Amino acid sequence: MNRRMRSLHRSMGALVAVFVLMLATTGILLNHTSDLDLDKRFLTSDWLLDHYGISNVEADAVYLLDRHTISQFGSQVFVDATPVTQSEVPILGGIIIDDLMVLATEGALLLFTPEGEFIERMGGSVGIPSMIQNIGLFHGDPVVQTRNGMWRSDFMLDQWKQLSLDGVGWSEPQAMPSSVQDELATFFRGKGITIERVILDIHNGRILGKYGVWFADLLGAFLVLISLTGLWLWGRRRL
Amino acid sequence: MSNYKVTLRVFALISLILSSFTVFARGVYQTDQNFLAEAFNNSVPKSKVVWVKGELAKTITELLGHNYAGLRIRYWRNDQRSVWILEEIGKEKPITFGVVIADNKITTMKVLAFRESRGGEIRHPAFTLQFQHAQLDNMQLDRHIDGVSGATLSVRAMTVVARLALYLDKFTG
Repeated sequence: MNRRMRSLHRSMGALVAVFVLMLATTGILLNHTSDLDLDKRFLTSDWLLDHYGISNVEADAVYLLDRHTISQFGSQVFVDATPVTQSEVPILGGIIIDDLMVLATEGALLLFTPEGEFIERMGGSVGIPSMIQNIGLFHGDPVVQTRNGMWRSDFMLDQWKQLSLDGVGWSEPQAMPSSVQDELATFFRGKGITIERVILDIHNGRILGKYGVWFADLLGAFLVLISLTGLWLWGRRRL
Repeated sequence: MSNYKVTLRVFALISLILSSFTVFARGVYQTDQNFLAEAFNNSVPKSKVVWVKGELAKTITELLGHNYAGLRIRYWRNDQRSVWILEEIGKEKPITFGVVIADNKITTMKVLAFRESRGGEIRHPAFTLQFQHAQLDNMQLDRHIDGVSGATLSVRAMTVVARLALYLDKFTG
């Protein structure tokens, strides 16, 4: 009986040793969360972020205007990595005229300063043609293609004339520059999961989902058992 | 038919009715152009802009409780009235309001577009009529606006826009 108990104690000891080390290490780290700023540092690993369900973010539309990257994620419009305004409808293109960045949507033009500050939304109430399909430049003047034809204006954008032109430089969607992609990833995901949360999830097994919790329970049961067998062996030696 | 099936069908019917109300709450009720044409009897004057900067920017921030989302605001004015088409976030999405002001008082206040899933009741005349003849008194409306159950944030947005339009009318008048 004594030999069998010792054998069981040794086997369980070897089995749980690795996990006890992990529990002890993560426990000590959690005890010093504030000292180590673990609650202020955030996950950057793609693999772990994907594991937490925060997948890669992909823009619905990207346009490069001057030195700025304009992108749209759902209804949120970004200039570089800064959210600037909302548009419930897709951005169809963008141009630069004088001191303005102009983005086109189906029913309105969105105006921005060269620094990317949102100025205003100009819609049908100020004469912007409806059913816009694209925006472009013709000898420096803004031109929009609509379902009802082509319209040309000047830098004031308040008078539009219908005409037909050849050689308009139409705005085209482009690929997101990797530097802006990284900044946007930081914006969307950078402050999603703290290091403290990951360590806590390793500590309690939740990093592996519900199976991890059960595994942690099983490990707890082993620790209880190993304590009992250890006490039993200790008691037997004293007798 | 078993009680279980009857309960399930009643539940499905209620869900369908409730979801229909949710869908109907969203939408464009009147285009900006129609609202302007109505306000100016089809003689819409050329629009003007007021730049949101300096003291005006500070006052607007105080009125809204946050910075105005834009550097300029467009408006229309003739001898009798000014018209403002302004947006303010209700809970998550912008609500578009049309405000007509004459003699420093609101004559018409309408919800032109509502994009939230709840709170669309504020578009009904029974609610918007509360704003008729309202004016500013120490930067507040001179009257109490009764709320709508379940539309607190939409009511707040409409009240804030009413105050903003009245202030801007005075500022640009």
